[in-house]
Amino acid sequence: MSLADFRGETLGHQRWRGRDFSGQRVAVIASARETVDIVPELVRTALFVKVFQDRPGWVLPRPVPALGPLRQVAARLHLRLGVSDDWTRRLLTPHPRFGSPHFMVSEDFYAALERPDCKLIAWPIYAITPDGVRTAEGIEHRVDCIVHGETVPLGHDTAVTTKPARQERTA
Amino acid sequence: MSSHFDEMLRTIKDKQWSLADIDWDSPGAETVTDELRAKMTPFMADLVWIEHVGARGFASLAKKAPTPVIEEIYRYFHAEEQKHANAELALMKRWGMLDENDDMPEPNINVKLAIKVLDRYGDSLPLTGLATLIPLLECALDGALVKFLLDEVQDPVCHEVFRHINSDEARHITVDFQVLELIGAGPKHRLLIETIGNLKPQVVLGLIVVFVPLINKMRDNIVALGLPEKKLYNAVKRFATIGGRGEHTRRIPAYHVLKAQAAMIVDRSHPYHRLLADPMVKLTSLIPARLLSKPQSWVDEITHRPVAE
Repeated sequence: MSLADFRGETLGHQRWRGRDFSGQRVAVIASARETVDIVPELVRTALFVKVFQDRPGWVLPRPVPALGPLRQVAARLHLRLGVSDDWTRRLLTPHPRFGSPHFMVSEDFYAALERPDCKLIAWPIYAITPDGVRTAEGIEHRVDCIVHGETVPLGHDTAVTTKPARQERTA
Repeated sequence: MSSHFDEMLRTIKDKQWSLADIDWDSPGAETVTDELRAKMTPFMADLVWIEHVGARGFASLAKKAPTPVIEEIYRYFHAEEQKHANAELALMKRWGMLDENDDMPEPNINVKLAIKVLDRYGDSLPLTGLATLIPLLECALDGALVKFLLDEVQDPVCHEVFRHINSDEARHITVDFQVLELIGAGPKHRLLIETIGNLKPQVVLGLIVVFVPLINKMRDNIVALGLPEKKLYNAVKRFATIGGRGEHTRRIPAYHVLKAQAAMIVDRSHPYHRLLADPMVKLTSLIPARLLSKPQSWVDEITHRPVAE
């Protein structure tokens, strides 16, 4: 997938680490494992962070030396305590049968998502435009910068459109 | 069968569209006169809420999907129903049907009850129940409500929006019935277990207290606006015809129950209305909305804005 048509900056390969995103709206498009690393750092400086994640994973605040079912209980409890909204918790819960069985460790991922300057967007992405990211609920999410992971979770057939939004063409 | 679903998922991804593709300020809004606006505002509000609640239904179906590909298709359908609600809300804004804050119209008590039930039980409903109910509602939406709207409104933007929506809905109906075929082809014992699951008190009660009055109220409101009852009849007939074409759908008890109920809904002279539906509409209208706890935040996801800054 190419992000070449996006007018703003795109950052991958850990280039987001240590960067100052002051005044920028940033999209995070990465695997669940990478997202839990990226988001807590970005919210420290960015104006607004939009987290595109439709395939969540279980998150633990620290490594838990326990068997699978107990780890899942701990992860559920961490989610319950860390995220106040019922619907957001549902969006952050892996699919009961097809979700990832792996556990990730992040102490402050949920705290970052709870901030008013951070939003979880769980709709499937279908295109990158010059100004942002389009998702299947029909909305273009405008951003100044896209931070992406090593494995950008977009299907090989995801379109990259260069067509600007109608709003702008008629402006 | 699985290759059908793979191909359908590819088509769904290829056919995505956005509210930003539509020129919401182009001429045509003036064709909606004051008289038409007054008549159509409650209809559009109901339509937006049907799509919005339908979206939530697909979110529950995704949890129950039999395969990962169907799960992904349902996640797209969840988003697409939300897109339809967003686009219809944008039409309401274009036609001056929203208040000064551009807020979503308040749902009636029956919609609020449906939201409550979906929040509480949606994810635990058996697959066959929801998977049968949704195509019935989509046949009614596609075959009756949308056709009525397009007959009444001449605004070219409305027709452009509904070309997209109808194209999406055609795919939804195709997949809905393919999934019913898949379920119907399953072993008898699984169908039996699913059927027993559908007889859980919360499902039966939900059907009587929520679904029956919700649909009847909308049915009567829309017929009062001028929707010919023949169109409703044809929509239900379509549900029976497409389901009847399948080799295995007829093995699903929920399909027969909903088909029979739909036939009663469209026939206003049937005792179903006098003995069950009308009393339930009256009874539910007495429920104070404040008794229902705050809905989950998906209700606030709707927007008429094509671009989120």
